[in-house]
Amino acid sequence: MSNVSVKVLLFATFRKKYGSKELTIECDGTLKGLIESASRILGGEFYSDVYNSERGMVRDDLIFTVNGRNIKDLKGDIELKDGDVVAIFPPLAGGINSSKLIEV
Amino acid sequence: MGRILKVDLTAGTLKSELISEDIAKKYLGGKGYAVYILYNYLKEYESKGISPSDINPLGPENVLIFATGPGTGVPGFPCSGRYHVMALRSPLTGSIGSANSGGEWGPFLKFSGYDMIVVEGASEDPVYLSIVNGVAELRSAGDLWGKNVFDTCRILSRRVGGKNTSVACIGPAGENLVRMACIVNDEHRAAGRTGLGAVMGSKKLKAIVVSGDEKVPVANPDEFREVSRRCLETMRKNRVTGEGLPTYGTSILINVINTAGGLPYKNWQTGVNPYADKISGETLAETYLTGRRACWGCTIGCGRVTSVPSGPFQIIGTEGPEYESIWALGGSTGVKDLDAIVKANHYCDEFGMDPISLGSTIAAAMELYERGYIPKEDLQGLDLRFGNSAALVEAVWRTAYRVGFGKYLALGSKKLCEIYGHPELSMSVKGLEMPAYDPRAMKGIGLEYATANRGGCHVTGYTVSAEILGIPEKIDPLTPDGKAKWAKLFQDFTCVVNSTVNCLFSTFALGVKDYADLLSAVTGWSLSDGEILRIGERIYNLERVIINRLGFNGKDDTLPRRLLEEPMPEGPAKGHVVELDKMKEEYYKLRGWVNGVPTADKLKELEIEL
Repeated sequence: MSNVSVKVLLFATFRKKYGSKELTIECDGTLKGLIESASRILGGEFYSDVYNSERGMVRDDLIFTVNGRNIKDLKGDIELKDGDVVAIFPPLAGGINSSKLIEV
Repeated sequence: MGRILKVDLTAGTLKSELISEDIAKKYLGGKGYAVYILYNYLKEYESKGISPSDINPLGPENVLIFATGPGTGVPGFPCSGRYHVMALRSPLTGSIGSANSGGEWGPFLKFSGYDMIVVEGASEDPVYLSIVNGVAELRSAGDLWGKNVFDTCRILSRRVGGKNTSVACIGPAGENLVRMACIVNDEHRAAGRTGLGAVMGSKKLKAIVVSGDEKVPVANPDEFREVSRRCLETMRKNRVTGEGLPTYGTSILINVINTAGGLPYKNWQTGVNPYADKISGETLAETYLTGRRACWGCTIGCGRVTSVPSGPFQIIGTEGPEYESIWALGGSTGVKDLDAIVKANHYCDEFGMDPISLGSTIAAAMELYERGYIPKEDLQGLDLRFGNSAALVEAVWRTAYRVGFGKYLALGSKKLCEIYGHPELSMSVKGLEMPAYDPRAMKGIGLEYATANRGGCHVTGYTVSAEILGIPEKIDPLTPDGKAKWAKLFQDFTCVVNSTVNCLFSTFALGVKDYADLLSAVTGWSLSDGEILRIGERIYNLERVIINRLGFNGKDDTLPRRLLEEPMPEGPAKGHVVELDKMKEEYYKLRGWVNGVPTADKLKELEIEL
């Protein structure tokens, strides 16, 4: 797979923790590949902050979007393209939580 | 059971009544009990030959209710520092008036000896109501009339002294009957929406000061202690209530909603704001944030304490802005100077105005002017173009005092746009300006805006929680499918929250079962999840009956043409409009309504006796 260039935007406490708002990442076009490449720049903790290795997927307590679409709303495997914009919000902005607000 | 203070401002009389346990079991308290009282006023007026649509929102026949609920002011009841205010008619919309506020006033009303205040009639001269240790008096407010919110709060607090003293009042905007005037308590907390400050102003009621140390009873203290401990622990561990809101306040949502393509920009011409980060919670935290503030009994503390130390928009020591006020005063108007937004928000508190309606009205005026529909001379020097920070700040005080073009802004966006021949540019529903979520990017909130009884409102049923934040589960914002059941569920549950009365933000962590357990322990009644939601549904339906009688039905459950017909021009929701008819059909079916009117069967099922 050829490399693609993706813009990654960080928000809230991720900005302070990683000292960055925005960075451009070269990756293999997969979400895992993107996060691995980003962690080589931002530090190893970024990987575990964003990726759940056990389940082999992005952590489900984050808001993680590709071109504004939350990945939880997208079907199938996500293939990143050149110029895509990924936005990552830490769990304190929402994402899954243990609230059993309303049983529907 | 607690007590209701009935105030007749025309006669100048005060009367105390007991809360009825039978009514409380059906309608809980807070908003629910207030809706029941308002319906009975409507019936009484109709029996005297007064048609509901003839009730002047700024006349003595309008009724204003300040209400607490069984949870308010109970130590350990999560986020219980709130109260709910209702009026039979809103002067902004003509529909029901309804608003909710935090701070300390709600619990302190209870500590003063009353659970609710019902105000009818109108005084000839300005008065204020004082309730101290169970003793209620109407006193002259001649020396207070004309004063801003801050002075009024401080003077009355000092005058009354004592323990647990709080003031709810109006500022010049309420006195001047500005249609989006609000009621402010504790200087910076507001019962913001639907113009209830103007109702208070029309009654010449300047303020209500409460003080006392009466204990709020709990039926089963041991049970309550256990449930409270469990709920507070849940809230502490939850990332939103335990970390996000305390750290960033609600303004964390600016970048979240903008990323989703739903942050309305320039009077909703698009949902993508290129300057969102400049006015975000992150930027506020780096620039003007000096501290945080919590309401009474709240463990979250989302209130922002801010200061702009220098520059043309200097303001030393204020509170806010919140997500909605940043958006309305900034995003919708195109203003990207955060210091100007902080100042404009400060003025909204000082003069007592709803920043959502005000900001949206200014944005509508900006679009009208840029399109050439407002002659320059009408603006009397106010250069109302998108992004003009100085004009924004100037427009706030001009509106409060109805000076120059401010007298048009003071009418709200619906009237303003009608006057200038383009009603379609008012981004409102039932006359209430919509808040900061473009439903072309999150369809469920569009259904919510259209069907909320008080008008374009998000907190009546905050479907954004599921559509964008993923709480309690993630649903796709861009589909209209399945949204009806969520809108109904959120609306019914929120009625419970507003009748308890505690803070909606606790529901980012707590669920229906938690409320059932908390309320059961406080009241001594055995309430299940199902019963709680049924009470909520009952309240929502009786409120709907009231607005039906006021002339609102299915034709008014709609959205501005821009959202129904103009595709979103950019962003992740590009090309989308709101498929409202489809969602409405499903919603009415679930509600048991026909054309926005509850059927006789539905009312019977909910034990609502008309």
